Amino acid sequence: MILVLVGVSLIVFAIMMLIPEGQRVAIYVTGEKIRNEQIDSLIVKYGLRDPAPVQYFRWIKNIFKGDFGHSITASAPVIEGFKMYFPVTLELVLYSTPLIILVGIWLGTIGAVHKDKPIDHFTRIFAIVGYSLPTFWLGLMLMMFFYGLLGIFPPGTISIVGKDILYNPEYHQYTRILTIDAILNGNWRMFWDAIYHLTLPTINLVLLSSALIMRLMRSSMIDALGQDYIRTAMAKGADKKTIYNTHARRNALIPVITISGLMFAGLMGGMVITETIFARKGIGLWMARAATQLDVAAIMFNVLFLGVVFVVINLIVDLIYAWVDPRIRLT
Amino acid sequence: MEKLVEAEELRTNFYTFEGVVKALNGVSLVVNNGETYGLVGESGCGKSVSVRSMMRIVQAPGKIEEGKVVLFFNEKDRNKGIDILKRSEAYMQSIRGNDISMIFQEAGTALNPVLSIGFQVGESFLLHRRGEMIKLAVKTLDKKIDENSNSLFRMWRKFHKRLLQNETDDLERYKTEIVKIDSDLYRTEGKTDSKSLEKHKRLLVNRERLNKQGLKVRLQLKTPIIRRYVRRINAAVREKVIELLTDLGVPNPGNIVDRYPHELSGGMQQRIVISIALACNPTLLIADEPTSNLDVTIQAQILDLIRQLKKTQISSVLFITHDLGVVAEICDRVTVMYAGDTCETASVKDLFKEPMHPYTKGLLKSVPKGEIGEKLQTIPGTVPNLITPPSGCRFHPRCPDVMEICKSQKPEMLMMKDGHSVACHLYRKK
Repeated sequence: MILVLVGVSLIVFAIMMLIPEGQRVAIYVTGEKIRNEQIDSLIVKYGLRDPAPVQYFRWIKNIFKGDFGHSITASAPVIEGFKMYFPVTLELVLYSTPLIILVGIWLGTIGAVHKDKPIDHFTRIFAIVGYSLPTFWLGLMLMMFFYGLLGIFPPGTISIVGKDILYNPEYHQYTRILTIDAILNGNWRMFWDAIYHLTLPTINLVLLSSALIMRLMRSSMIDALGQDYIRTAMAKGADKKTIYNTHARRNALIPVITISGLMFAGLMGGMVITETIFARKGIGLWMARAATQLDVAAIMFNVLFLGVVFVVINLIVDLIYAWVDPRIRLT
Repeated sequence: MEKLVEAEELRTNFYTFEGVVKALNGVSLVVNNGETYGLVGESGCGKSVSVRSMMRIVQAPGKIEEGKVVLFFNEKDRNKGIDILKRSEAYMQSIRGNDISMIFQEAGTALNPVLSIGFQVGESFLLHRRGEMIKLAVKTLDKKIDENSNSLFRMWRKFHKRLLQNETDDLERYKTEIVKIDSDLYRTEGKTDSKSLEKHKRLLVNRERLNKQGLKVRLQLKTPIIRRYVRRINAAVREKVIELLTDLGVPNPGNIVDRYPHELSGGMQQRIVISIALACNPTLLIADEPTSNLDVTIQAQILDLIRQLKKTQISSVLFITHDLGVVAEICDRVTVMYAGDTCETASVKDLFKEPMHPYTKGLLKSVPKGEIGEKLQTIPGTVPNLITPPSGCRFHPRCPDVMEICKSQKPEMLMMKDGHSVACHLYRKK
């Protein structure tokens, strides 16, 4: 695991080394304008012409100190930018992932149980449509329909009224996750405003990503229902509900867990499009901007961060695996 | 001899992509009370499918097309019997595992890999003997109430006792309702006038709908914290499972109950499968090739176990195998099957002494006798494809004594002498 992280950091560093030193200076310089003749002295000052290993270890040392450099797009140190953007993304991921998994598992189970019946065909059509629609297209369509045509759901992270509440000195931002903060402050108006703004992007993500989970769940559930142990359960006199919920589903969940973990991590990275369309100021939007403006520090940090997310999610997936499937337990 | 189960003209098809597999072509067999009945044939001849049809657990894409499976279990329906193919699914669930249960081949795949042994064996108790289990739980709870003087614990335990009592009351109510519907069903069954038919249909629907638990019990089972009283039932079940495993000669049962199937050896897995089937003392035990895929020594142990259980616990065994040696060892009466047809039924002695059907003769000739350098005889040809089975007698393309009539007409079961019948045109009275 640690090896994976070292590998990620090496790759990130290698990418950084491809960029000319003149641009890389930007990582270290905060705010003030630099004149051209200053650049050379700054390059020397931050040791950007030192041998690569020396630079790498210096960079790693800075990371451990919590110093990731200065982001141009956030016009603040990277870590400050992260604190600002990350909660927005995390909120969306936190709301959509459980929904994606629940909807996917639920529809998949229904499809498998009523195999080749109309309801199964319906879920399959849902899956094919959901899986083949591009994110940006569906996002734009949802926006056009619900915001442009009907005016029901808004884009963005928060309304103007919400902003007033947010910057009110009496309102404390504990976690910077809007809905949780609203509950902690007991401010229901803010809470509903945040939920209101979350609806469209969540629908967008759920429609697209639950299709995959659903397909997987359906096929692995059908596979599980054809196994011999289902026959044993039937011969015991178990009713249908027990057979589906106790005997088949747990076996069927094993492959779904793997994909769910990867999907959760993928969602964090795949936010670029969704957040850009719905104008939510999250990591995805930040990354998109950083990439277009060559904000090296922000890009490096985010790639490293996604690497960490993947590693942690994989660890969690392994733990859940062991809990569901006794064959994987070590003891 | 009293009949226990009778299958009449069972026809089961499998609707596969390649076509309709006509797996059973009118199989009839009778298992009498107190006998070990063998079902023999090569693989794919429909042995397993016929017993699965008898228990109504044919998995998709299979479907039981027609026929009758009549049970003569209770005193009440000794004369008439119950046709279980016409009964509701709920009724079947109350019979499976309770009156008829089944041992499967390949215990490794017949056990659920993600559930503990204790759960899988105990499930039978929970499904059919929940009342008794609750009684056991109440008993241990009573003891604890007496012992402990701490008033808080006392209150908690008394509360649990109350909840358990709720469940018992509910089960009683359910039982009386079920008995009523079943007796009504029994009365309307077989009548052909439209009024009775309608009533029968309605009763079937009611039987299916009958909720196993009332609202109160469902609530107490679903509410967190309150539902913790279920652990007391589970503890009682665990005790029962350990008892059962000890009876079956499983070493170290207290440890085994917390294990998972993959941690056990093949023989041990087969014992667990047997214990699942025996949990509720069934009247009929169906053993579907319980000894295939096991070493010879383990095979002998399992056969011994079944023979012993036959003496002590269960009245009849329906034993499926392709091994004629096992048949000779364990069975009283045998039916030989070929490609979804029953060929010959006889007592074991008769079958081995004077086989009548050409297929049985061929089968007996192809058993190795254990002589060195012996050349095995085989039956020429191969098992037919059951999507397009041969016309008439399904054995005719391979039969040494084939006649013209065999190709067009399916032979009927002919009673040759007491207890020995054969389905072959050779023995037709001219």
